[in-house]
Amino acid sequence: MIIRSSDQIPRVTLMKRFPLPTNFGVSSESRIKLGKKWSAPAGAKRVKTFEIYRYDPDSGRNPYIDTFEVDLDDCGPMVLDALIWIKNRVDATLTFRRSCREGVCGSCAMNIDGTNWLACTRFISDTGMPASIYPLANMRIVKDLVPDLTHVFAQYEMIEPWLHFKTPEPEKERRQSAEERSQLDGYYECILCFCCTSGCPSHWWNGDRFLGPAALLQAWRWLADSRDEATGERLDNLEDPFRLYRCHTILNCTRTCPKGLNPGRAIAEIKKKVIERRS
Amino acid sequence: MSGSNIERSRPQSPNIQIYRPQLTSVLSIANRITGVVSSIAAIGLVAWLVAAATGPNAYAAVQSVLASTFGQIVLFGATFAFFLHFCGGIRHVAWDAGYGFELRAIYASGWAVVAVSVVLTVATWIVALFMAG
Repeated sequence: MIIRSSDQIPRVTLMKRFPLPTNFGVSSESRIKLGKKWSAPAGAKRVKTFEIYRYDPDSGRNPYIDTFEVDLDDCGPMVLDALIWIKNRVDATLTFRRSCREGVCGSCAMNIDGTNWLACTRFISDTGMPASIYPLANMRIVKDLVPDLTHVFAQYEMIEPWLHFKTPEPEKERRQSAEERSQLDGYYECILCFCCTSGCPSHWWNGDRFLGPAALLQAWRWLADSRDEATGERLDNLEDPFRLYRCHTILNCTRTCPKGLNPGRAIAEIKKKVIERRS
Repeated sequence: MSGSNIERSRPQSPNIQIYRPQLTSVLSIANRITGVVSSIAAIGLVAWLVAAATGPNAYAAVQSVLASTFGQIVLFGATFAFFLHFCGGIRHVAWDAGYGFELRAIYASGWAVVAVSVVLTVATWIVALFMAG
C-alpha cells in the first residue's frame, strides 16, 4: 500500500520482524531474556497486553521482556497513558522519559510495534495485540525505556548548530526576508527525538562515524539559513565518506519521523550542495 | 568484581531484530542483494561467451546446464534480479538529483519498481521462449 504520511499505520503487515533469531548477533550483556507477567486487575473488561523491554542496571541481570495487562477502561487513549497507568498501578519501577505529552518535547520516543514513534502521539488502538514496546533501537540503555543519548547529541554538536558570522555585528538584528525564512520550513521543526537516527540501518552499522539523519537534517537547517556565513566550512566538515556518505537513501528516517519531516530530502540537499560547489 | 553494575557495560537495545520491515528498508537491502546476484550473473555470462568462443563441445556443455530445469530457474532469478536492480538504480538516480522524496512518492516509486521488474522479467521470458525460437 502507498504510505502518504509518516503517522499512517500499515493495514497489512507481511512481516512484523525480519526473519532473524531474536538475539541474532547480539553481545552477551544485551541478550534479552523472558521476564514476568503482570495480570490485569480483577474485573477489568477491556484488557490490552503490552510486552515491554526492561533493564535494571542495579540487578546485574540481562534485559528482559515483561508482559503487562492494562485495563483500557481505566486508562487514557495513548501508549504513554498506558505506560503511566502501569507505573502508577502495577510496577512503580517502570522507567521512561516523558514531559509534554503532546508531541512537542520528543522525550518519550521509543520503539512501538517495531517502529520508532512518540508514545504520547501513538494511539493504543493503533498497536497490535500484544503491543511491543522497546527503547529506541540501537542505543545503550540506562534503564528500561531510557536510552543513553550522549553519542547522538555529540554528533549533533559536531555540526555546530548555531549561526556563524564573519561580517561585523549589525546595529540591530540580522534580517531575513519571508522568502529566506521559508527555506527553513520542514527543518527547524525537528525536536531531536532521534526516532530517525535510531531507525536508520546505516547508523546501526556505522553509527560511530556516520552522523545519522537527525544530525544531518540539522546540518542542512544551518546550511539553508540565509544569515549563516560558514557554508564552506560546514560542507568541508561534512564531506567525508562516513559522516555524510554512509547515507544510502534507505529512507527509514522519512518513514518514521513523528513530526512528518524529511531527513532524507535534507541529506540529498547537502549532497547536491557539495557537488554544486565543485563546478 | 563480577556482577557489579559498575563493571557491567550498558546493554545495546535491539535494532534489526525488532525493527519492522518496511518498503523503504526491504527495497534497499533487495537492491544490494540483486546487485551482488547481477555481478555473479555477469561472470556466468562471460563463462557462456568464453565457452562459445572455445568450441562446439564447451558450448554444448554450458548450454545443457543452462537448459536444465535448475539452470532455467537460476536464469529466471538472475533476470528478475537484474531488472529489480536496474529499476531500483533509476529510482536512486532520481533521489540523487533531489526528486521524489515525498513519502507518497517514495512508496509509489517503490511499488512501481517491483511491478515494472516483474513485468519486464515475464516479458523477457515470453520473448525468449516463444518468439526467439
